[in-house]
Amino acid sequence: MDKVRIALIGNPNVGKSTVFNALTGSNQQTGNWAGKTVERRSGLAHKEGLVIELVDLPGTYSFTAYSQEEVITRDYILRDKPDAVLAIVDAANIERNLYLVLQLLEMTSKVVIGLNMLDLARSTGVDIKAHELSRILRVPVVEIVAAKGQGLDKLLQAAVKVGHSDALKSLSIPYPPELEEKIQRMEEVLKNTGLAKRYPLRWLAIKRLEQDPEIGQEWEVRAVVPVQAHADACCSTGNAVSYDLKSTEDLPGDVLLSELAQAGWGQEEMEMAFADAKYQYINQILPVFKSQVHSGLNLTEKLDQWVLSPIWGYPILTGIVFLAFWVSFILSAPLGDLVSQGMSGLAELVVGVMQGLSIPEVWQSLVRDGMFAGVGAVLAFVPQIAIFFVLYYFLQDSGYLARAAFLGDRFMQMLGLHGKSFFSLISSYGCNVPGIMATRTLEDPKDRLVTILINPLIPCVPRLGVMSAVTAAFFPGGQGALVLVSLLTISILLVMFSALFLRRAVGQTERSAFVMELPLYHLPTWRNILQLAWVRTYSFLKRAWTFILAASVIVWVLSSFPQGVPMNESWAGTMGSWLEGIGRPLGFDWRIMVAIVFGFTAKETTLSTLGILYGVAANASQSIARAMTTAMTGLGAYTFLVVYMLYIPCLATVVTTYKESGSLRWTAFGVAYNLLLSFAVGWLVVQGGHLLGLH
Amino acid sequence: MTTLMDVKTGRKAVVAGIEGSGALRRRMLDMGIVPGVELEVMRQAPWGGPIQLRLRGYYLAMRRSECAQIAVAERI
Repeated sequence: MDKVRIALIGNPNVGKSTVFNALTGSNQQTGNWAGKTVERRSGLAHKEGLVIELVDLPGTYSFTAYSQEEVITRDYILRDKPDAVLAIVDAANIERNLYLVLQLLEMTSKVVIGLNMLDLARSTGVDIKAHELSRILRVPVVEIVAAKGQGLDKLLQAAVKVGHSDALKSLSIPYPPELEEKIQRMEEVLKNTGLAKRYPLRWLAIKRLEQDPEIGQEWEVRAVVPVQAHADACCSTGNAVSYDLKSTEDLPGDVLLSELAQAGWGQEEMEMAFADAKYQYINQILPVFKSQVHSGLNLTEKLDQWVLSPIWGYPILTGIVFLAFWVSFILSAPLGDLVSQGMSGLAELVVGVMQGLSIPEVWQSLVRDGMFAGVGAVLAFVPQIAIFFVLYYFLQDSGYLARAAFLGDRFMQMLGLHGKSFFSLISSYGCNVPGIMATRTLEDPKDRLVTILINPLIPCVPRLGVMSAVTAAFFPGGQGALVLVSLLTISILLVMFSALFLRRAVGQTERSAFVMELPLYHLPTWRNILQLAWVRTYSFLKRAWTFILAASVIVWVLSSFPQGVPMNESWAGTMGSWLEGIGRPLGFDWRIMVAIVFGFTAKETTLSTLGILYGVAANASQSIARAMTTAMTGLGAYTFLVVYMLYIPCLATVVTTYKESGSLRWTAFGVAYNLLLSFAVGWLVVQGGHLLGLH
Repeated sequence: MTTLMDVKTGRKAVVAGIEGSGALRRRMLDMGIVPGVELEVMRQAPWGGPIQLRLRGYYLAMRRSECAQIAVAERI
């Protein structure tokens, strides 16, 4: 069968993923771009006997060598040469979107434009004539409404047609004479070199004039971590690979460049001149296809008057955050209970069958107290995780999260963090793994490292769930709410302290930056949101039958053998007695220490571990916490909560930290930092509590 | 030099040039901040927070320190 390869490009927030999801459905594969921490998504579509491979390239504003996403996108277009490139364009923001399209047209002529969000554009009073745009750019332009799936068939057809045809004579952007002259001189220098065989000559000449550092570099991909299915417990990110610079070609044209630099045309002047010329050209052609039907306040401006208002902005932000957490935790509680009950019912059923088959009691206990109890305690968090991420992606897709970052940036700036760190830290409240992965959008490697290292201090949904169960048992009523608020405050204070401290530790001296688009508000499509939330939830689910099942069985074995002895003489008890010394200054008994050690596999197992060690039915979190009240004082419980919240989040987070930072040293540093910080703060709480006469 | 920092909320200005170098400057160019383009200062986040701009029919948020790199000629 004939196969066509089509790449999707576009600015961020233009509905590119919506198009991709609608065209490929469930036929998708996610992985990483070789050697880069940028997600690679590809999928298959079938049409009229054709197999169409769609590759979703990262959303970018440009094709420079300054960010990983942009290098990947242009490398794919230039080196892998897809049959056609689909450029998704936001009609409401046509000027800036065309800037990317013009750059694309310098790389390939096999382009089809999908003109999206024309409805949104019309609501702001702008109309775009697709046929005029097509005539000027000499490529097909198809009107689509990606959210409703309209026009996508036509779009795909046009792309296939372009894919089958030979390269067309493409539009060559007319630059001002003083630039044209320089391009031609550079083309003369380059035309007989090996580089000219690999790249379009005009594009190459322009990039050389801009002194693009990536041209002429050959990279070698080398896998450092072998493929391990379970190494990837939370979220599939592909394999860690290192990307080594193999060789840098000596580029021709240095003589010309230094001559130009002396005449006042250095790299900065060139970059500015080419960006300027492209925008000039867009302004020149704009009146042909764009018309302003009416003007006035659009929906986005009306909403922003409230949402970004200095008076109302923060109460609205607080309200939305509060609502999001209320829905994820309180409203989802009955669902979690339902899962717990279902699991214990299922356990009874299985054990009943085992009794019928007269399977020995030990095995029955393994199934009931080991497997079902452990996995059940974790599955109870699934509704919370799912709901949290549905809300998170809703806020992100609708355009609100960018506003929240705008309002919260003062705070980020105070901590020396990059504006985009905000997104990473917020999604860490759902799960630290996607939070750490979200740092990929940060361009500066040191900014990234700092953000990766502070992420684990943010308590994720499962941790917050365990914390609220323990809190409810020890501090009933209004006191409990106060305790939780104080814990969250401690975590935020430590995030602040750590951000400032880690900037020093990492040696970051660069000033952090924040240049961010505030997209128009729009109603997200459920399909997109559910798909994104499902990816996060699924990886959490996958953990339940890998890590957590294994950890639960191990805890059960350690606490059940040797058989017939009291719990504190079991293997777990022996292990606990070794650890008791470390826990004593904090007032932790051996059970807590064992639970802390096992919590490392996945923090949500802590409750079920304690359940097994205290000998209560482990799938009812309330009863476990209640069993703890007999063994601990209020101060002890508070200390436990603090340490629990702060120590190494879980194995999946550590693995992700390693993959994303690519450094064993910094991963080890992060683990040690979390351990020391949690025990130090715990010790301070105990001492402070004693001073205040608490116990 | 008058920079974008000096432009009051609700006012418009025309870009004259961008100071600085490297990735940040290039990002601003790519976002359409080139000489001659008209920017409108929409609002400023409180306590020295970022500034919201409108240019080329879209909205952009930038920190004040970035705005200080953009030389402008003010327009009424």
